[in-house]
Amino acid sequence: MLELRGVTKKFDDNTVLDNINLEVETGSIVSILGPSGCGKTTLLNVILGLTELTSGQIIYDGEDLTHVPMKKRGFNIVFQDFALFPNLNAYENIVYGLRNNPTASTPEEVRDLIDLLDLKKHLKKRIDELSGGQKQRVAIARTLVMKPRLLLLDEPLSALDGMIKESIKERIKTVARQFNLTTIIVTHDPEEALSLSDKVLILNGGHVSQYADPRTIVHAPSNTFIRDFILRQLQIKRDNIFRLFDGSAPQGSTLMASA
Amino acid sequence: MYTATSSLNILGKEQFELKLSFVLISLLLLVILGWPLYSILGQSFFTDEGSFTLMNYAEAFSKKSFYTALGHSLTVSGCVAFFATIIAFFAAYGLNFCAFRPRTRSLIQIVLLLPLFLPSITYGFAVIYSFGRQGLVTQIFGRLPFSIYGFNGLLIAGVIYTLPPAFMIMNNAFAYVDRNFITVSKVMGDSPLRTFYQTALRPVLGSAAAAFILSFFLIFTDFGIPTSIAGRYEVIATQLYAVMMGAIPDFHNGSVIAMVMLLPSILSVIILRQCERLNFRYNKLSKTPPAPQILRDYSFAAFYLLLTLLLLSVFAIIFIVPFVQSWPYQPVFTLDTIKRVFAENDITGTYLNSLYVAVLTAVLGTALCYLAGMVNARSHLAPWCRTLMDVFAMVTNTVPGMVLGVGFLFAFTGSPITNTFAILVLANIVHFFTTPYLMAQQAFSRMNAGFETTGALMGDTWSETLRRVVIPNTFSTILQMLSYFFVNAMVTISAIVFLAGARTQVMTSKIKELQYFEKFDAIFTLSLLIFLTNCAVKLLLDFWAESRARRLKAQQD
Repeated sequence: MLELRGVTKKFDDNTVLDNINLEVETGSIVSILGPSGCGKTTLLNVILGLTELTSGQIIYDGEDLTHVPMKKRGFNIVFQDFALFPNLNAYENIVYGLRNNPTASTPEEVRDLIDLLDLKKHLKKRIDELSGGQKQRVAIARTLVMKPRLLLLDEPLSALDGMIKESIKERIKTVARQFNLTTIIVTHDPEEALSLSDKVLILNGGHVSQYADPRTIVHAPSNTFIRDFILRQLQIKRDNIFRLFDGSAPQGSTLMASA
Repeated sequence: MYTATSSLNILGKEQFELKLSFVLISLLLLVILGWPLYSILGQSFFTDEGSFTLMNYAEAFSKKSFYTALGHSLTVSGCVAFFATIIAFFAAYGLNFCAFRPRTRSLIQIVLLLPLFLPSITYGFAVIYSFGRQGLVTQIFGRLPFSIYGFNGLLIAGVIYTLPPAFMIMNNAFAYVDRNFITVSKVMGDSPLRTFYQTALRPVLGSAAAAFILSFFLIFTDFGIPTSIAGRYEVIATQLYAVMMGAIPDFHNGSVIAMVMLLPSILSVIILRQCERLNFRYNKLSKTPPAPQILRDYSFAAFYLLLTLLLLSVFAIIFIVPFVQSWPYQPVFTLDTIKRVFAENDITGTYLNSLYVAVLTAVLGTALCYLAGMVNARSHLAPWCRTLMDVFAMVTNTVPGMVLGVGFLFAFTGSPITNTFAILVLANIVHFFTTPYLMAQQAFSRMNAGFETTGALMGDTWSETLRRVVIPNTFSTILQMLSYFFVNAMVTISAIVFLAGARTQVMTSKIKELQYFEKFDAIFTLSLLIFLTNCAVKLLLDFWAESRARRLKAQQD
């Protein structure tokens, strides 16, 4: 289990994260949701070990990782732009880490991973020949080969569109379940966060606005920020879709009950 | 509970290696850039006994010859910059707005950039041998109505010298000008003149100003051309050389002239920064192909033909003199001249010296600029550390080669590196630092920001990520940097003319020496060797880059 205790991050006098407390169960998917500048990417970097804390503690399975360098935390990340190495093909990217740690995955495990992510026919392709969805899957495979104990995904669906987005969502869920992998996702899209995660952490101005499962957030939003900014977006989207199919918006809405 | 006061080196070795690079680069540049400049300043403001004085300035400024030389330098630089900018503007305009075939375009570019492969000192001699009394062009078309020595020669050679860099600036600017605006302007009912102004001239006005300033700066500080063709028309560069290397060297007076030379350079850099604001910002290369227009396209074809003929008429002599009995009296083909030149003048030794200096400059200079670019664009060091790299690049860009040479002379005379190849290599590295540094910095800025973190998370050390990811993905830039350093080290004379000793003679300083003995067949043989070597190295590095790209593609297909 990952625990954040009183995590605070300041850049000069600007407090970006203010006393964040959080518990993430092993094997669960948690999304960090919030508008631009709310501190979600900083929180991701703090967990990864890329950014130093101003104060607080990061604990994983009882071990205090606050002082542990990024490389030794055993966490891994898929960046928003994937950071795939263009001088290597898809397969060489996937097995990149095995040169440093040959025992991280067996050849069978790598093969299974490639099958799971449906990458077999793309292995010899150059990175610039891959579609957005294929790049995303290669990047996920590359991190999973290293068997991280925690996977961080920075806006994993923002560069994708349509059905590919849905398919990647399903794959992320499958991977998390199959490997019992604790997965933390940063996103600005409420639909993505609520439909993909076991729990959602909503940040606003560096504070935790609510941390709960998607149903609780939808049916019992803890404050007006969540109602007005998070759920309102979903409401408009849903109404637009209803209008498109039925010609009229639904009467009443649990989402907007007290907005 | 963890607090900010405890130290945590999150990135481990990456921070350490880049920190170390930062410290070493800063120390090195302080010694080979800061100290020479400080030495010039000291020489100009202090007496031999060490007391502060303004007498050096008063003495230099009281001489009429100083003002005459300064006036000449300003006049020549202004005229050269004016003509070079206009020619470069139309050369780049035609290339981007006429419907030429891609191959024709490449050919025109190559011809316009060829002068870059020759030392500027050769241009002067080539102009004399082409347009002088016994010159190749004179023999074919008759005598010119003016003397080629002095202002006229400086103007012709100067325009040839500054045309390639001015053209590169203009061509780069035009490549980004969106040609769709021509259609928009026409649809709006603009007259052809207004269309030209709105869609071609106005968007590149800032670059035209930059090309002018750069040409001015290059000519004002160049030593090669005036030393070969100025005659009695004294300019500031020849005066500095005479003062420093004459029968009775006057270092104090030399340092004052060097300081004066520095002023227009500083002004140039400041104005160049302002010029950038004039430019329109286009992010993408224009993809709209130019529409064919017979009259315009043929006019420009004729313009390029004329330009090519003019350039070839000047440079043809370099390829002729070494292969004839005696120019212009016995223009019969022979290889005896080259054999004699090699036998008499220890050309092989000098050539090997030049190669040695150019290769070392290229390798060490590229490594230094690459690391400096990395500190600036890829490190997590404090902002002032990263900015310091930019400051170094700006200062090196400001200091003319001759001033640097004088500074090195003051700073390192009597030190263990006097009269060694090391001093030549170091001077070259500082002299040409800016452009390769900017090449590296831009390549690193364009590179995905997550590469090093990803490498570290995959178990790489910093140097492993450098070897496996960073270098392979910037390899073409590295080759460009090597090529830039090599070619410039082969052709430069301004800084090294003060530093090359008898044991460390290089090609360009040898040309300067041969001038005293009027051995022009040897001068052109050396120039030809420099030209061919530069072409060969450029082709080799381009071929390397291309074959590597092909091999990578083939491996992955």
